[in-house]
Amino acid sequence: MFGDLKRFDTGASQRQDWFRQLVDELFPDGRAADIRAVPRGSFPMINVARSDEAVRVYVFAAGLARGDLTIDIQDNVLTLRGRREPIAANDDTGNARPVFRRERASGEFVRAIALPDGLDAERAEARHANGVFEIVLPKREELKPRRIEVQVA
Amino acid sequence: MNEVVHQTQQSQPETPPSESRSQTALAPAVDIVEQADSLMLIADMPGVTRESLYLEVDNNVLSLEGDIQLSMPEGLTALHAEVNGQRFARRFTLSHEIDSEAISACIDNGVLTVTLPKKDSHRVRRIEVQAA
Repeated sequence: MFGDLKRFDTGASQRQDWFRQLVDELFPDGRAADIRAVPRGSFPMINVARSDEAVRVYVFAAGLARGDLTIDIQDNVLTLRGRREPIAANDDTGNARPVFRRERASGEFVRAIALPDGLDAERAEARHANGVFEIVLPKREELKPRRIEVQVA
Repeated sequence: MNEVVHQTQQSQPETPPSESRSQTALAPAVDIVEQADSLMLIADMPGVTRESLYLEVDNNVLSLEGDIQLSMPEGLTALHAEVNGQRFARRFTLSHEIDSEAISACIDNGVLTVTLPKKDSHRVRRIEVQAA
């Protein structure tokens, strides 16, 4: 579903990122960026989707186990905190290892994302599978869509 | 540890199916480090399961591909998407010292670890300096 979301595009793939940065520097566009927009490659990446009953937040945090992510909600701002260990710099015998690429984020991270109004934080739930956390925030009853039956006059 | 390496030694004449779909694929972030007897490649592929992962070595090119498996209910509208794709894909050219028969891989919490052992003739040998 998120695959065909071109209008929410946050940037091209990482491979094109240097080129995009160059072009952006040469031809800055006058549009204001969202105050909480993040550059491509931020860790963890977040998708947010809405259904009639709830708002669902998907946190793509590869390498984090169930207990490694702290999820807080305050005033409709969802804050995610955690830490991902860097790969060991030394091999088994204590020798330093040559590193050819280091693209994966490591260390402490904090990300905050604004959520729509009217969510019931008390009934929020979170699940974890394969490095993706799914946070389900149900809408308050009064905000759910309601069908109004037309009465016989 | 899940053995997930599929190997094909001869090159196929037709283009692999990944070529046509590579437009929508995301490039996973990778770390590559060298050890005395192997290279280690670590790739972030959140949402990819052992079943949806496909690794292939063809003509000294290592292909990593994986579909993002999310159980999402029907009727969702996206509000914000930083991951806007359904799959990860990335390819690397291997050097000739890699023993492509002995490559092994495992995926845990969306982190793929591929171990690329070197051929025996290319392992590090430490040379002791003799007293004169």
